[in-house]
Amino acid sequence: MSEPVAVLGVGQTTYKRRHPESSAADLIWAAAEEALADAGLGIDAVDVIIAGVAPDALAGENCVEKTAIFGTGKPFLRVNTGGVTGSSTAFAGASYVASGRARAALVVSLERMGQASTSQRVFNTIFDPVYEKDFPLTTITMAALRASMLMRVYGYSERDWAEIAARNYRHALRNPLAHLHLEVTPEDVLDSPLLAWPIHRLEACPMSEGACALVLGGRDLAAGRNAAWIQGMASTSDSYAMGDRIRRPEGSLVDLLSLQRSAVRAYADAGVSDPRKEFGVVELYSPFSSAEAMTYPALGFCAPLDGPRFIQEQQEDPSLPVFNPSGGPQAANPVSATAMVRIAECALQVRGLAGDRQVADVRRAVATGQGGATQFSTVCVLGTQTP
Amino acid sequence: MTELVSIPGHWDFDYTYFAGEAASRFFAELRNTRVMGATCPDCRRVLVPARSFCDACFQRTTDWVEVGPEGTLETFTIITAAFPGLPEPPIVMAYVTLDGADTALVNLVLGLDLSDIGAAAAGLQRQPRVRVQYGPEPQGRITDFAFVLA
Repeated sequence: MSEPVAVLGVGQTTYKRRHPESSAADLIWAAAEEALADAGLGIDAVDVIIAGVAPDALAGENCVEKTAIFGTGKPFLRVNTGGVTGSSTAFAGASYVASGRARAALVVSLERMGQASTSQRVFNTIFDPVYEKDFPLTTITMAALRASMLMRVYGYSERDWAEIAARNYRHALRNPLAHLHLEVTPEDVLDSPLLAWPIHRLEACPMSEGACALVLGGRDLAAGRNAAWIQGMASTSDSYAMGDRIRRPEGSLVDLLSLQRSAVRAYADAGVSDPRKEFGVVELYSPFSSAEAMTYPALGFCAPLDGPRFIQEQQEDPSLPVFNPSGGPQAANPVSATAMVRIAECALQVRGLAGDRQVADVRRAVATGQGGATQFSTVCVLGTQTP
Repeated sequence: MTELVSIPGHWDFDYTYFAGEAASRFFAELRNTRVMGATCPDCRRVLVPARSFCDACFQRTTDWVEVGPEGTLETFTIITAAFPGLPEPPIVMAYVTLDGADTALVNLVLGLDLSDIGAAAAGLQRQPRVRVQYGPEPQGRITDFAFVLA
């Protein structure tokens, strides 16, 4: 990057099943207003606005962001890259600032799926209509196909999935923005109804809606403001076809090659060499426990076969980063916004503004994103130091 | 306090999906009970189901070869909960690499004993051999066949 880019403001609505009190425009407005207030900037200071919304059918309205085009007279873009919509939107805004084409960018992502009554039916339409749509492929069954492969290849158990989920719910108890506030033990997760073996109800993310916004700016605007610097950001694609990745020698379906490649690039830009020691916080795009487990080796926290042990290590070794202090997507998954929420949470933690869930002395944090059938992955490293 | 208004909505659109030449040929071969793959001239992978190009090499595929009818079950899920618009559970869906193919394709696995889901899952985790079984009247669609234990 040429000009360093910082997160100067964060705005979020709460995340919950439905916001019947708000129109889509109200939700975008609320997040944007809060982010600008947090940055101490007015709309006139913003040179570009970028909105992120994933499948229109989840809202039942095309281009749901259109009724919230405020601050007119500037470039406006809309981004949809599935689950990484939120981070793609943030990266697009950061690129405007880094290139010098904007002093400040306002990026906002909205999930309005509370208007949908049959989300898994909508999610079936994200798959290939020629070879795939006739099968019961959904976000849940796609995750289940990977979870069973992770169990076979790397030795995870159903208990491991339950442990990860229980920890995420525990963290969410301190996050007033989270959708689910549940006191749940691993046993409760295992006792919840089986949706698609090996995934139980309490191991799957909820359907949430809400909006998240960031104000991004360069060095001049960051002066005198509480800034979280983007020290590295990378976005990587992969083959769409999941079947092509099953026997692939350089990285199978459960090795998350796109995330691994994004991490290598973002860590290189940020100067991160030992992720176990150099991050205070890790915010993962992990709507299912199995999705979280896949990230551990891809992000360099452990060898693939050590993944199950790493779940225990997190509980025993206080020198390790805190994983998902927000509760992560298992406690709130506003799909279009989720990857931006990870960046927002890291920015709040780095800026010391994370309230009851604040982790002590976070100098650096990492946020991930995963989209589609994980054909898109993003990694964003944020920190207190200007890159 | 204003009474909040919510307005009912419904999407009901019809579509026609155009499969393209490669998939059309694949489906025509399925009607002849042959599962075909297309070969990438660069990486030499046999891509199944057949497609017109290799995305890894950015090359048009060339030679078509028949694969299967037997193969190895790679990974699976047993769907146990009902979702609106999807078939009634329990359903087994799996990725299978057919003999001679380098990639796996997704389809249903039929004819399994699902009276004990845990036991069925344990059996499928052993990656059983499976074979392609065609339905009575092939339509030239991916649903013309399913997998059964070999």
